[in-house]
Amino acid sequence: MILSSMQNVVFGYGSEPVVRGLSLDVYAGEFLGITGENGTAKTTVLKLLLGLLKPWSGTVSLNEEAMDGGRPVIGYVPQHVASFNSGFPSKVAELVRSGCYSRLGLLERFGLKQSAIVENSLKQVGMWELRNRRIGELSGGQKQRICIARALAQEPNVLILDEPTTGMDAASRIELYELMHHQVRRHGFTVIMVTHGVEEAGAYLDRVIALER
Amino acid sequence: MFAYEFMHRAFWAGTFLGLSAPVLGVYLMLRRQVLMADTLSHVSLAGVALGTFMKWNPAMTGFAVAIAAGLLVEQLRRTYRTYSEVPVAIMMTSGLAFAVVLMSLGTNLSKSFSSYLFGSIVAVSDTQLRLIGGVALVGLLFFALLRRPLYNLTFDEETAAIGGVRVGPLSFAFSVLTGMTVAAAMPVVGVLLVSALMVLPAALALRIAGGFLSAILIAVAAGLTGIYGGLTASYYINTPPGGTIALILLVFLLTGIGCKRLTLIVRRGSRRHKKEKGSYK
Repeated sequence: MILSSMQNVVFGYGSEPVVRGLSLDVYAGEFLGITGENGTAKTTVLKLLLGLLKPWSGTVSLNEEAMDGGRPVIGYVPQHVASFNSGFPSKVAELVRSGCYSRLGLLERFGLKQSAIVENSLKQVGMWELRNRRIGELSGGQKQRICIARALAQEPNVLILDEPTTGMDAASRIELYELMHHQVRRHGFTVIMVTHGVEEAGAYLDRVIALER
Repeated sequence: MFAYEFMHRAFWAGTFLGLSAPVLGVYLMLRRQVLMADTLSHVSLAGVALGTFMKWNPAMTGFAVAIAAGLLVEQLRRTYRTYSEVPVAIMMTSGLAFAVVLMSLGTNLSKSFSSYLFGSIVAVSDTQLRLIGGVALVGLLFFALLRRPLYNLTFDEETAAIGGVRVGPLSFAFSVLTGMTVAAAMPVVGVLLVSALMVLPAALALRIAGGFLSAILIAVAAGLTGIYGGLTASYYINTPPGGTIALILLVFLLTGIGCKRLTLIVRRGSRRHKKEKGSYK
């Protein structure tokens, strides 16, 4: 079933379009890879899919029926989110807790259920041991992992990752691909991942879209 | 000291400001909007001057202009994302220029220009006290109720928007609150010291706090201690209260930075010592 569809989308910054007449369908429950050289508007395509950018022309639609009739909950890990202000006063667990906030009411207590979600998310990315560390003290790859844990704590049914393996070593990259593959197969997630490492991730992806200039 | 009614009012005003301004300062610093408090206080001064010149209520015009300027700064920040500090700097200069010109034209100005620049917390009126108290209450409710969306907004606007935070309205509400707080505080602590009350406790807290909540609590504790200490010192050694408060907050900040650096040096030293001990075994 189609989850999201882009039809003849044109978009650009300034006067020149960087996306020209792009049509793209994303299917519910697939692990989709988007690749391409630098400057092929991979991040722009993600932002158009997310509704963060409005196309000059063409349509972007989201099929809510594909999510069992409910609104999709989207977990998003932007390209440079891990380069956050290292002075941001938070510990690892505190930042990942904030992933649960979107499902809590303003006065609702952060309960045992949410704590279990945070613990599970941190364990999934191998960061549970560092839960009390200040986020500014982490390496680039570790920061990337806690940003992914934060997205997982949202309990999303769609995960959109923009070059999530930046700063990670080879073993961590493979662990991430395996985790995403598991989420798709076991929990029915839809995962869209922008990556330069298609050769490495290819075995885990259901489909790869290569963008060209 | 407390035998005088004006000192009671000064301590109440200080308590309200000490509870709300440092919290606002933490968010402003993390959102890289430190200049905003300074800008709004200068623009608010122009509002006061306009009110005096037009023979309207200067406190109300100062208040309204600060809120309108807060909204404008937010709009400009969205329009000029890459150079967001440029329109802020232009607004600050323009605000001060308008204030100077309008004040020189107004002959019926009840206070001197320098009293607006440096404020007079010991001369706070009942009306001003009620206004500061009301604004502080609104601010504390805002931060308590919206702490979760505000945390997400402050960490990263894009992921906050995708996660369901209504980024636009929340940012505009934050700017209005900043305008209100600055406008309420300006006649009391002065244009030049408004941002000191917000920035110095927040800078100290962000330097030494481990988590977000502890940063907020440290900022408030530092703000209140600085204000109470400054008011007491200014009473006994006869110095201007606003400047004394700012200097005490500065001493807190420098001490905090020094202690943090010392802790790091000691930790590194003991780690190196352990390592060397290990290599000899």
